[in-house]
Amino acid sequence: MTRWLLPGFLAVGVVATLVLIVGPALYAVSLSFYEIPSLTADPVWAGFANYAEVLGSGEFWSALWNGIVYAGLAIILQVVLGIGFALLLNQPFFGRALLRGIAFLPYLLPTVIAVLVFKWMVDGSLGIVTITMDDLGLPPIYWFETETASMVSVILISVWLWTPFVTTTFLAGLQTVPTQLYEAARVDGAGPVRRFFHVTLPSLRPILTVIILLRGVWMFNKFDVIWLTTGGGPLGATEHLPVLSYRMAFKLYDIGSGAAVATLSFFVLMIAVTVYFRVFPIEGGK
Amino acid sequence: MTDMKTRRGMISRRQALKGAGGLGAGLALSGLAAPAVHAAGGQPIRFLNCETGKGTLAFFTDAAKEYEEKTGREVIVDSVPLGESFTKITNGIRSGNPYDVANVGFIGHVLLLAEEGQIVPLNELTDEYEWGNNILFPLDDKVYWYPFDYNLALIYYRKDLYEKGGLSIPTTWDAFASNCEALVDGRQKGCLFPIGSNGASNWMSFAFMWAEGVKIFDDQWNVVLDNDEMKPRVAAYLDFMARLHETMPPGSLQASYADVLSNVVAGTVGHGAYAGRVIESAERDNPAVAENLGIMPYMDSAGQQTAASHGYDGWVVLDTPNTGPSMEFMRWLTTEKMVDFLHTAPVHFQPTRLDIYEDQRWRDHPMITKYATEIETMRRLVTDPSVIVTSIDTQGPEPDVRPGKVFESFAMPEMLQEKILRGTDSAEAVEKTAARIRELIA
Repeated sequence: MTRWLLPGFLAVGVVATLVLIVGPALYAVSLSFYEIPSLTADPVWAGFANYAEVLGSGEFWSALWNGIVYAGLAIILQVVLGIGFALLLNQPFFGRALLRGIAFLPYLLPTVIAVLVFKWMVDGSLGIVTITMDDLGLPPIYWFETETASMVSVILISVWLWTPFVTTTFLAGLQTVPTQLYEAARVDGAGPVRRFFHVTLPSLRPILTVIILLRGVWMFNKFDVIWLTTGGGPLGATEHLPVLSYRMAFKLYDIGSGAAVATLSFFVLMIAVTVYFRVFPIEGGK
Repeated sequence: MTDMKTRRGMISRRQALKGAGGLGAGLALSGLAAPAVHAAGGQPIRFLNCETGKGTLAFFTDAAKEYEEKTGREVIVDSVPLGESFTKITNGIRSGNPYDVANVGFIGHVLLLAEEGQIVPLNELTDEYEWGNNILFPLDDKVYWYPFDYNLALIYYRKDLYEKGGLSIPTTWDAFASNCEALVDGRQKGCLFPIGSNGASNWMSFAFMWAEGVKIFDDQWNVVLDNDEMKPRVAAYLDFMARLHETMPPGSLQASYADVLSNVVAGTVGHGAYAGRVIESAERDNPAVAENLGIMPYMDSAGQQTAASHGYDGWVVLDTPNTGPSMEFMRWLTTEKMVDFLHTAPVHFQPTRLDIYEDQRWRDHPMITKYATEIETMRRLVTDPSVIVTSIDTQGPEPDVRPGKVFESFAMPEMLQEKILRGTDSAEAVEKTAARIRELIA
């Protein structure tokens, strides 16, 4: 019985992966070679025409750049703040356990709720932030009123939602660093900053590498925050590749081009991950 | 596991397997028997509803039950937000399990489905009635949808603030902008017309332009937005909207349907656009504002023409093995139950069929009686041929997917953003938009 258990579980995993991930992915790639005005229309073979059209349009390159800016800045802030909070929560103080729990809360919020709450809080007429600032005699903040402000706002929401993931993961890692290393560094006269850069960071490099990788992939593919807040606007300022793909496929009735954008996005990400592993091999941390 | 098998009082593996087997066999047999059960009343009618108001959902639950009791035919109602309707419809078709009747809110989708032969003409249901202006959108005399409401976007204004400020109902852009400026007072702003890349902007912010006689396409589907006749009008509209923007609260760029609704109902803006939902929401949440809401159509710059923006909804019947029974159900729904359905959002669901305005049962609803003046204004807007009733997606000489693409691309709201956010010269913003539209429909 037990000798069939492992192959059995493996088979279930392989079948689930094939049916739920590989199959749809290949189907999406195949769609990119057809001209399809809707999901119910008969596809017409288009070869690489969709790719040529997409790569020749300014929208694609603009969306790629927006995605890099959005993902890049969000990751930097998430990692810097996440590590900072983790270091803080690793110190002994009264109420630490409670604060650790609270710090993780934003990560538990469904994105749609977080985004709606944020939008209501900063609503130009009725938002609590707007009203409070007005009461204090401060001018209103135009959260989504310019191209730059919109990008900053979607980045801030992303940082608020996903910094707790970095904090929690890094905090778990911090607790595995042998205390002897810190003691030895202290004996050698290293202050907190030097201890962080010479003991903590090198010890947690593998964890940090994985955190940045995961957050990078997730942020680059993140659709909901941008779609729910700005829809990619204003004037395409926050439109990145997932939003462009969705808009082309489901709003402009061009499923082939939408699929081409999604496929190109996948390749861009694959190249980025390959380069990342070359530059920061996980084995290097051992 | 061996322990479990021998322990007194515990279920053995064999017993568990037998039990599971029996349960599985029972389920399988009940599944096999299901078609026979369904056959007694025929294949269920699958109905996709997109009106998600509490009262409307309850109506469909009761209607389905009543229809089954009356005919033995089960009606399964799925409800999703309107934005997901087309995806659900096409996924159903693609998966071989299509809906029989579906709610659509966008004429472009009706056309796509009709062109692909996925929906059937509904003339046998529509021909016997007289309809309001510009709502059936026939294709070669065939009507492919049953529009149930107009959802016209109109301008709502505060009568009490007008009275207090000594303002009169504006008939020109200049007078309207002056009134908006006059109503700015601290936290209270003059108006809210969305300018973001969303459906709310498409619906609420362009009827000023339609009143001015602007057209996006000529009769041959050429883009004429930037020709010698249209460009000055559109540029003037952009200048006017930039002036209005000065009187709006922060956030007009992201304002959604809900944002505009809540601002009007809360009384934080002097003017806002919406359909009858404003009155229903204000009546429920802020009766003081409800009593002071007035409506007016959108006006042009010279006080010559007025317009209202389409926001229609309707039902389509899909070409499925169940089309016959679905048509019977639709006949029942649109005759015996139509008034009950419209009463679930009495002011918001503005009738498309003119006979309903005369129907005493419809008129007897307390909200319709209370807001009879507003209802009469709404009725005039869809019967008076001098009022322009149109929208971005219904532009052009005939129903077509091309204006639908302009609608979904948000090219028009982006023209507003070019002017208001980037400060682009109005004429240049018009030219850029026209070029983009040409690219979109190429």
